Amino acid sequence: MIIDVNAYLGHFAFRQLRHNTATGLLKLMDRQGIDRAVVSSASAITYRNSQAGNEEVAAEMKRHRDRLIPFAVINPSYSGWQDDLKCCCDEFGMKGLRLYPRWHNYKLSDSCCLELVNEAAGRGLPVSIPIRAEDYRQRSWLVDVPDVPLEEIAGLLKACPKARFMLMNGIGFVKSALGRRKSGLPANYCIEISRLSAVLDNEIGHLLANLGPGRLVFGTGMPFNYAAPALLKLAVLDASKLVKDMIRWRNAAGLLGLAQ
Amino acid sequence: MSQSSTEKTIVIDCHAHLEHHSVANWQESDRRLIQAADKLGIAKLCCSTLTPRRPGTAEGFRECNGWTADAMKRFRGRVLGYCYVNPGWQREALEEIRRCVEHRGFSGIKLYNEYTCNEPVVFPIVELAIKLRVPILQHAGHAHYFNEVQPRISDGGHVAELSRRYPEAMLICGHVCGGGDWEWTIKALRNTPGAYLDTSGSVIDEGVIEMAARLLGADRLLFGCDMSMTAGAGKLRAANLSARDKRKIWGENMERILQARGAR
Repeated sequence: MIIDVNAYLGHFAFRQLRHNTATGLLKLMDRQGIDRAVVSSASAITYRNSQAGNEEVAAEMKRHRDRLIPFAVINPSYSGWQDDLKCCCDEFGMKGLRLYPRWHNYKLSDSCCLELVNEAAGRGLPVSIPIRAEDYRQRSWLVDVPDVPLEEIAGLLKACPKARFMLMNGIGFVKSALGRRKSGLPANYCIEISRLSAVLDNEIGHLLANLGPGRLVFGTGMPFNYAAPALLKLAVLDASKLVKDMIRWRNAAGLLGLAQ
Repeated sequence: MSQSSTEKTIVIDCHAHLEHHSVANWQESDRRLIQAADKLGIAKLCCSTLTPRRPGTAEGFRECNGWTADAMKRFRGRVLGYCYVNPGWQREALEEIRRCVEHRGFSGIKLYNEYTCNEPVVFPIVELAIKLRVPILQHAGHAHYFNEVQPRISDGGHVAELSRRYPEAMLICGHVCGGGDWEWTIKALRNTPGAYLDTSGSVIDEGVIEMAARLLGADRLLFGCDMSMTAGAGKLRAANLSARDKRKIWGENMERILQARGAR
């Protein structure tokens, strides 16, 4: 069993994405042996009104709820986000949130963000935060969107200890409080592995040692990314089958409330 | 490599680096590189050692190349050497390339970002590479903003221009997945059949390998990691190409380049 917590449907404004329909993504998943995937709208990253992206995802994956798990992209600095959240949960059955604070022009410490995250915690929804949507060095001449600073995320984890977080598309955790032992941070977050190393610096190994095997989850970034690099990391990682299974799916299943 | 596409061919990482010896744990770093290569089925790594700061001085690049030569002995048959030079130290650079290639068994030349590769100061280096029948791996990347840290970084357009000037040169445009606009780079190299493109870098954007193969042809692509090991190997495993084309990229193309000077 493999659960990918980091997948997308829809378009990205600055690069053509292939396999970005539900059917296309499922074919990719089948090719790579991935059973289920958490999906959110790629279009919503650059839509001003991110709810339009959530509506597209809800329509696209109606017949694929057995394998695709929808997350809502909510912009708490945009009008009507409370209505959007209610609609995404109650009508679309979305199971978590995805936040883009830099793309959507707010900070994780802003009161509107704290309100949204606390609302998510109350509803039992995990909150995922991609550190980046794409490598900043290849950015378009139109935008300059920096990565979300890990320190800012650490502040949010502390401010909302009852919320549960997934941190995605990140690197360098072991050099921050997020990847250190006894950091004083609540253990309310998991780290997704798509950009982490399994050889050379072996950040995955260091995070396993520092945080324990219950804190890493598998993700690919499909269809922005190829899936094979993330699978290869698990293949070459020096860890037991049990630990690898925790990363492959068990930890994500627990976070998403799926039957184990 | 467990995949059938790589079972019948050698896997050569055309873009790797050894640690500078000012780094305390350089021996451990080099050992980890070989271990990673073992895990990923990489038979040979084409390595350079770079000075920690650029522009590299003559003394600096000579010292680095000496360490590369040592690693070629320590990891015999696994580490192949690129001779790193700064073309600005022209006489010293040409002497160093001759010494490394003719007497120390280096396989190629590594140019970094001291000059864009279409500047005249680079031409004598290219002419010597042609004479010695060795490739030049050119550090490259194209961003849509001014790169303050690397103001003279080359891009695919510069490599293409140099290739048009010296069509017989074996030029390798470095790390298409090294963080710049890879679509721009691939398109810039399209009409220069003498220039190769290395697939290394941390970026694993879906479709990059397929686009490069479609526009440049699999014969012009070289597998590389540039120390992003699972990214480098994973994206080529994932690419939707024929097994024949993948074998070329995994190592056959680089092997052909290395054999231009003499069988290894």
